[in-house]
Amino acid sequence: MKKRRLTRFLFTALIASTALCGCAKKSDGNTKTTAVTKTGTPVTYTALYPREVTTLNYLVTSTILDHRIPANCIDTLVEYDLDGKIKEGLAAEWTYDKAALTWTFKLRDAKWVDHTGAAAADVTAHDFVDAMKYALTPEYESASAQNLFGVIANAQEYYNGLVFNGGADDSGKIWAPIDFSEVGVTAVDDHTLTYTLAAEVPYFLSSLVYVIYMPAYGPQLEELGKSFGTGADKMYYNGAFYLAEFAPQEKQIMKKNTLNYDSDHVFIDVLERIYNAEALTLGPEMIRRGEVDYAELTADILDDWNNNEETKKLISRERPKTDYSQFYCFNFDPQFDASYEPANWKKAVNNENFRQALAAGLNRLKSVSVLEPDSPDTYIINSITPIKFTYNEDGKDYTEFNAIAALGDTYDEAGALKFKAIAIEELSAAGVTFPVKVLMPYNPEIPNWDKESQVVEQQMEALLGADFIDIIIEPGPADNFLTEVRRSGKYAFMKSGWAADYADPETWTDPFYQEKGEGGYKPGYKYSFFAKAIEDNTKTAETVTEYFALVDAAKAIKVDTNSRFEAFAEAEAYLINHALAVPYSIQVSLHLANKLDVFEAQYAPFGVSWMRYKGMTVKDHYISMEEYEANRK
Amino acid sequence: MVNYLVKRIGRSLLTLVLILTIVFCLLRLMPVEGYFPNFEKMTPEQIQIGLDEMGLNDPLPVQLVRFFKDLLQGNLGVSRIYRANVLVVDILADKMPLSLKLGSLSMLLSLLVGLPLGALMARYRLRFFDKLGTLFIVCIQAVPAAVYFLFIQLYGTRLLDVGLLFKADDPLYWVLPAISMSLSNIAFYGMWLRRYMVDESNKDYVRLAKAKGISEGDVLFKHVFRNAFVPLAQYIPTAFLNTVIGSIYIESLYSIPGMGGLLVTVIKKHDNTMVQGIVLLYACVGVMGLLLGDLMMVMLDPRISLSGKEGDR
Repeated sequence: MKKRRLTRFLFTALIASTALCGCAKKSDGNTKTTAVTKTGTPVTYTALYPREVTTLNYLVTSTILDHRIPANCIDTLVEYDLDGKIKEGLAAEWTYDKAALTWTFKLRDAKWVDHTGAAAADVTAHDFVDAMKYALTPEYESASAQNLFGVIANAQEYYNGLVFNGGADDSGKIWAPIDFSEVGVTAVDDHTLTYTLAAEVPYFLSSLVYVIYMPAYGPQLEELGKSFGTGADKMYYNGAFYLAEFAPQEKQIMKKNTLNYDSDHVFIDVLERIYNAEALTLGPEMIRRGEVDYAELTADILDDWNNNEETKKLISRERPKTDYSQFYCFNFDPQFDASYEPANWKKAVNNENFRQALAAGLNRLKSVSVLEPDSPDTYIINSITPIKFTYNEDGKDYTEFNAIAALGDTYDEAGALKFKAIAIEELSAAGVTFPVKVLMPYNPEIPNWDKESQVVEQQMEALLGADFIDIIIEPGPADNFLTEVRRSGKYAFMKSGWAADYADPETWTDPFYQEKGEGGYKPGYKYSFFAKAIEDNTKTAETVTEYFALVDAAKAIKVDTNSRFEAFAEAEAYLINHALAVPYSIQVSLHLANKLDVFEAQYAPFGVSWMRYKGMTVKDHYISMEEYEANRK
Repeated sequence: MVNYLVKRIGRSLLTLVLILTIVFCLLRLMPVEGYFPNFEKMTPEQIQIGLDEMGLNDPLPVQLVRFFKDLLQGNLGVSRIYRANVLVVDILADKMPLSLKLGSLSMLLSLLVGLPLGALMARYRLRFFDKLGTLFIVCIQAVPAAVYFLFIQLYGTRLLDVGLLFKADDPLYWVLPAISMSLSNIAFYGMWLRRYMVDESNKDYVRLAKAKGISEGDVLFKHVFRNAFVPLAQYIPTAFLNTVIGSIYIESLYSIPGMGGLLVTVIKKHDNTMVQGIVLLYACVGVMGLLLGDLMMVMLDPRISLSGKEGDR
């Protein structure tokens, strides 16, 4: 009897739990109707995305993946137009007082809205001040706070004052706490904002489109603290869109903010982004069925699509970006496994002729062809700074300055063999064994990088000889590749990349330059670990020291743009001519199926402008290559 | 029975504590980079402040005691990387219902199709239906699941005239994911039930029943099936509870925002608090599954007694 009762009870519990599970519906909190077009149907743009953001809090994250939502939902002081020229954003006008190093911005009227699109508060100058204070609070762990050090007056002093509270840092410098009112950001009144700089910063205006300078509603920051940006209902919006729904690893829904000052130039009502880890596989099939408006097309299916009359007209490309440069790095502080002979590599890499042999032996045209079979030469660059990245006041491209303009194609077969012969002689005398093992990892999550690496290996070994170098291709971890491989020094020679943070050639020294502090060289962004050569007093020490000195000299020139550009050009040319790095390419534009004309978007070679959908219209067809080329012109 | 249950629950709790302690200690051996989403851009001072706040600079025993104290209050901590500053319980509470519902549907389908399949294969042993069933089982077990999942999605969606991606509020969108998830279990139940029923059919009591004139159908379904089902029954509670874990590939294929793949994702992202929370969940599922499985066996077979040593696990 007891058993029967127990049986019945358990059975009932099983059925009840099956029936009841999943019944609870998630409240999306959105009770407002969507703005619609004149025809009554909301204009929706649907796309898949394969990687979820880690946070919505734009004041603390420096990950590009996390920037798409704030790029569209938070307006900045300035914006960029279609051609990459700065124009008014939230700031209607601005002036600069050179003597006081102070920028003054007059704000237009603007509103904060919540996740339902309802007005919540007015945007004021205080919101910019409060946002900066939040970012400079160590407790909130902002990864972008350092962008303000040395730029905004007393930003570093305020931050370190909180951290050390009168104590000393590792170099012995004392950091006394200061009041935030001493930091160079002030709300004169609700519509007047000033930034006082720590020093002359020629690129300051261009850096205002970056997330660290975005405003946030002060009282909400105060109330939520660390919880700010942990959900769509945990922040306010003042941009072209507001985040109506955010369900991690499910969807991101942004809706047109009808209260935005520039809503007349927003032509999409709903941005619907659906999470799918298999987006690269499913996206193209969904394009064929017309279920999404955007998908990336990988090299694997491109040929098939090009050979099919129906799918051929669905293919276009993303806009070429000049804010991301790829180059090959030599590692001067190898930390990889002993089986790859790091000590032997270290001796070899400190020989300039060895590096020159590898630099001259890399046929970039061949390897870039893996990603771009049609016109690889349009992506190859001879400098670290891409062409059309930045210009002086006369409109002269930085890469036309003498030292950079003189750089030619690094690939030189005869030169490579000549350097090889000298290197063998010198390195043999130093006890280096041949072939020198060259560990070259790749990230398996980046499409086609494995194939590209194979081409590099075959081509370089064929030219220089497998008795000179033994290139070993290894897949790194798909997640945390940068931390596990590059930043840990677990490579010998590897393709790396850098995205510009602001419109000045100084940004392209950041991967390589290491500042000297009281306690030695700072680690920097951990690309080539140049300073190790100085610390170990190797043969490259003098070369690296000279490069650092050239960069220091260039940084010191604040006012005269031409002199500044010349000095940075000289430093960059020195870097390349001494084979401390090998320039490679700008990022190859992805092949896409897309219903947006990419040339309708805001454009800037850095910052978040390129992610904005404002000004773009959803077409009733997928853009073809003919249309893409016509729009490009 | 009550004594038995009390002892089993006590031992289960001890097992859970051990598992959590081991996982906790192992996670503390991981590099600190994993606690910070933007580690490379943080200053050493920021990192130290963060570690102090998380209590990671405290001695390990202190951290462990604090963890169990928080656990007793239902606090599994906050996610650091996967969803920064969001409570782990909130993240899991969001995801579990969908996985549970989908898993339950697929389990129901597996039982409703798999058990009759196995019974009919045993009933018509060596005849056409048995051979057809065997072909089905071999195909399901030989072909990698990812292949037929993709086929089902690509062609099944056209057949049902539905989109490729899942919509929770449309019942039609549940069909293909549930079918995909149930196929391997259908094959499992079909294969093993057939085998156990065939074994039972050779026993003396079956011969006696046939000799008494009971029809073959009645013998199979009223007597043989129940005895053959007992060894399978112990796995059903575990299988049901495992639905909460979700299916990695199916959920990613259909964009179902469930639990599938969450553990792998948070391990890769080094989100240690999430890892701890999910390991706790999995450990509870495993322990409860075993306990319920034993109870179910006892209910089905009165000969089994858990009080004696032989029935204990």
